[in-house]
Amino acid sequence: MIEFTHVFKRFPSGFDALRDINLRIEAGEMAFITGHSGAGKSTLLRLITAIERPTRGEALVNGRNLTKLQRRRIPYFRREIGVVFQDHKLLLDRTVYDNVALPLIVTGADDKEIPKRVRAALEMVGLLDKERMYPVTLSGGEQQRVGIARAVVNKPPLLLADEPTGNLDSKLSDEILDLFLDFHHHGVTVLIATHDPHLIDRARQRVIELNHGELALDSGAVA
Amino acid sequence: MIRNYFLRHAQVFFYTLGQLSRTPVASFLTVAVIGITLALPAGLYVALENVQRLARGWEDNGQISLFLKQDLSDADIEKLSGKIRKLPAVSWVDYISRQAALAEFKKLSGFGDALGSLDRNPLPPVLIVHPAGSHTRPDALQSLLKDLRRYSEVELAQLDLEWVRRLYAMLDLAKQGVLILTAGLAVAVLLIIGNTIRLAVLNRRDEIEIIKLIGGTNTFIRRPFLYSGAIQGFLGAIMAWLLVGLGLLILSGPVHRLASLYGSLFVVENMGFLATLALIGTGGLLGWLGSRLAVGRHLQAIEPR
Ligand SMILES: Nc1ncnc2c1ncn2[C@@H]1O[C@H](COP(=O)(O)OP(=O)(O)O)[C@@H](O)[C@H]1O
Ligand SMILES: [Mg+2]
Repeated sequence: MIEFTHVFKRFPSGFDALRDINLRIEAGEMAFITGHSGAGKSTLLRLITAIERPTRGEALVNGRNLTKLQRRRIPYFRREIGVVFQDHKLLLDRTVYDNVALPLIVTGADDKEIPKRVRAALEMVGLLDKERMYPVTLSGGEQQRVGIARAVVNKPPLLLADEPTGNLDSKLSDEILDLFLDFHHHGVTVLIATHDPHLIDRARQRVIELNHGELALDSGAVA
Repeated sequence: MIRNYFLRHAQVFFYTLGQLSRTPVASFLTVAVIGITLALPAGLYVALENVQRLARGWEDNGQISLFLKQDLSDADIEKLSGKIRKLPAVSWVDYISRQAALAEFKKLSGFGDALGSLDRNPLPPVLIVHPAGSHTRPDALQSLLKDLRRYSEVELAQLDLEWVRRLYAMLDLAKQGVLILTAGLAVAVLLIIGNTIRLAVLNRRDEIEIIKLIGGTNTFIRRPFLYSGAIQGFLGAIMAWLLVGLGLLILSGPVHRLASLYGSLFVVENMGFLATLALIGTGGLLGWLGSRLAVGRHLQAIEPR
């Protein structure tokens, strides 16, 4: 699903955010990317979603070579990846329902399918009764779950999350983690960037640690 | 699939209308500015059309007066008149004899007594040549005039409506002017719409970023902005049409009074169906194009962070 060989990311400033990363994550695996603040976790995820391009090396995601991916192919490439953000990036002027429906509308899903799939996604995150509400009226944990529902509504084979529990207390963090574990058990490849050791301990999944842009540790796949 | 496609466009259309109506003042101002900008060339066009229609009415009276030599006999004049009548460019010829000319002059001038004391009629015989309907264009009149001047019996040939020719030349010039003005104002409309859409794009920067992140194509992101531009241009054109109509309504009374003073039945006419269609189509098209140019440039700059 994801294969990095000797990947470097150097920013125009000359700073190497990632150095010589070799990584292989199989379809259906779940892994945590950890490391100190500034280690390069977000940069790694931004490479996978083609927000940034590798400056050296070869990176394959979903069978696509990220260095060669054409600009106009990027939207279609991203439809195969669900992304959850620390600040959830919801549209504040739209209801929960409309936020979750957005990926379906963007990809031109059949109109009759949309309500069913939105409600299925909302049900998974336990927010079916909040579909008419606006994000600002929800708690932090609920907002994050709306973000997760939006990320999975298209049923992408790959789910990425950048510090998904960064703003939440431990009880809410656990609930969010349970959601990701659930997706993992349903065969979705899940990759979570976090510096929360509690989350990693509890999940008992593969851990990839970055240190100043270099791969410091890779626990390898968990059986 | 096709049905889905149209449904999607209809959804975007109504969504865009909703967005525009959510900021009614800003939307109205944009539409008003476009309306005024388009009303200027549209109004000039209508004015020119009316003047041209008026000139066509005069042109039908475009006649040539032939002042003949004093010493011609009635028989000579009859012969000449017969020759001229046969010219293809001529419809008919009136003859005003020296006596008739004098009588009319006496009546009109009020110098009756003074003229009566002259021992000789100073006025020449006159033939009034009415050109055929197919020869009323200025250039045709001009060549007919040249032909008539060749007759030895003719002392002086004069096109009575020389100034119609000048008016035509001026109208041609004015039309060119309106064309240039229209082009300039079309660019102005592009800029107005472009700026409006630029602000709309920047206002929705976060939304665009998110849509790009979840796999929205540029075509998808562009669509509501294109609709927005086209709708505002379209409404602006309708506004321009209303403004021109209002202007004509205000002018029609005075014009009618002025015309009736000259014994004319002239009434101002609004632009025709096709011109209206062209105006509204141009408005929509300019809106779309202005939006397309603005969105194209600004969308590139907005990438997810
Ligand atoms: N656009 C950029 N230009 C220059 N340096 C950047 C840019 N983005 C990130 N960095 C640097 O790259 C390093 C890694 O950043 P990041 O991947 O966000 O770390 P993490 O998510 O692990 O905290 C940081 O030192 C950061 O300052
Ligand atoms: Mg980070």
